[in-house]
Amino acid sequence: MHAHCIHVFIERIRAMIPDAEALFSAEQEWQSIRVNLLKIGRDELVERLHEQFEVKPIPWCEYGLFVRGNIAKMLEYFLGYYHIQGASSMLPPLALEPETQEMVLDMCAAPGSKTTQMAMVMERGIVVANDVNIKRLRALSHNIQKSGATNCIITNYDARFMYKQGFKSRAILLDAPCTASGRIIKDKHRLDQWNYHRIQHMSNVQKMLIRSACECLEKDGVLVYSTCSLEPEENEEVIAYALERFDVEIEPLSFTGIRTRPGLTSWQGRRYEGLERAVRVWPQDNGTEGFFICKLRKY
Amino acid sequence: MAAGQRDGGIFHMQIAKILGKRDVRQLEQLLHRHYGCQVDLSRYRVFITRENRLWIASREVDIPFFRDMKRCYRIGIYFGKLKRNNKIKLTIEGALMVGKTATRNMAMIDEEEVMEYMQGNDVHRYRLVDAELHNFVLVKCKNDTLGCGLLREGYIESLVSKARRLVKPAASEPEEHEEK
Repeated sequence: MHAHCIHVFIERIRAMIPDAEALFSAEQEWQSIRVNLLKIGRDELVERLHEQFEVKPIPWCEYGLFVRGNIAKMLEYFLGYYHIQGASSMLPPLALEPETQEMVLDMCAAPGSKTTQMAMVMERGIVVANDVNIKRLRALSHNIQKSGATNCIITNYDARFMYKQGFKSRAILLDAPCTASGRIIKDKHRLDQWNYHRIQHMSNVQKMLIRSACECLEKDGVLVYSTCSLEPEENEEVIAYALERFDVEIEPLSFTGIRTRPGLTSWQGRRYEGLERAVRVWPQDNGTEGFFICKLRKY
Repeated sequence: MAAGQRDGGIFHMQIAKILGKRDVRQLEQLLHRHYGCQVDLSRYRVFITRENRLWIASREVDIPFFRDMKRCYRIGIYFGKLKRNNKIKLTIEGALMVGKTATRNMAMIDEEEVMEYMQGNDVHRYRLVDAELHNFVLVKCKNDTLGCGLLREGYIESLVSKARRLVKPAASEPEEHEEK
């Protein structure tokens, strides 16, 4: 089963990019953390961690750090001075630019890395963090408490039907649940769960989620859609679905300090218009997990 | 979370009262009396639940709006619990806010004792600063406020909640982050 999965997985990746084999040789020896600026300054934390670890900045996020070593048992972690967060998962909040927003709706917020990242940089503004799963809600709640962010509200709705509750927001982050194939490099056991039916199932859920997000989005508002999946069915296909049905258009995205590739414009005979403006982060390019990010604006 | 009431599988916050200016000032005075600190809580909306738990949220948060929302799970952060003897048991975040300017009811511990405290064990070696017995004290190590403890005869009882305790390295399991 495992060998078959790897074969199919690699074949699919090969159809997407020419350097598919490089995916498994991606360098993954650094852990990444996000400094909690609500509790400590970046330089002060760097100074403290330098005593025990090798630390270097994450080029695309001013409050992100790469650290080599086991950093989950440190006093600074206990006190919430930093949060362990994937380096590329810091990108969706950067794309949304929450510091300019009055309210951000984070539709699938647990466990709260991106939620607390947004809450941290919002000087005046609130984050409504939602998740449907009660167990994951507890993790979200724990992380928000630990971050010390007082501008978060946690709600427990099924995000697929949030639009029925009359939610409206000018800024929405939809970090959709996914097959997490972008993390396969870090956690090879995920390949055991990898199969096409699961991708199709997740794709259907994601389409319902983006539909709800588009309904909740106010005119001229922005929606950032992201997953840590590499599968086109969970990424470009979902965006194409939203473009066809709702008054949204893709806004170009650019990040400095990270190598990104454009979204796919075709997959298995289907063409995706304008998806080159979306962003794909491939694990082998930066030594991070894979990510897909797309910014939509409602007109 | 024990911050609210269970209803159909979820907890809802049961806000008993949103504190007005005068109540907030009284709370600041209470903190000053107890910890000798200068905390400005007027920057926050402060409210109390039916279990006498104090929560704080940014001023931008419209508390009545979210309180009345059917499936609102939590607003802001848990600051501390108001005890019957008019003392406040602070959370780590509450202690961090208070600890910056606190001058009394403090226990200073060494780096060797930090691990014990973080694991939820009693601390036996400490230096007290103007502390009352059988009272809540801020536990500090150098400039870091670690949280709250209860000063007993000969030791400090760690009040670190189970969820925040550090597990002993031998018994630890790999932590999952960013799990989807």
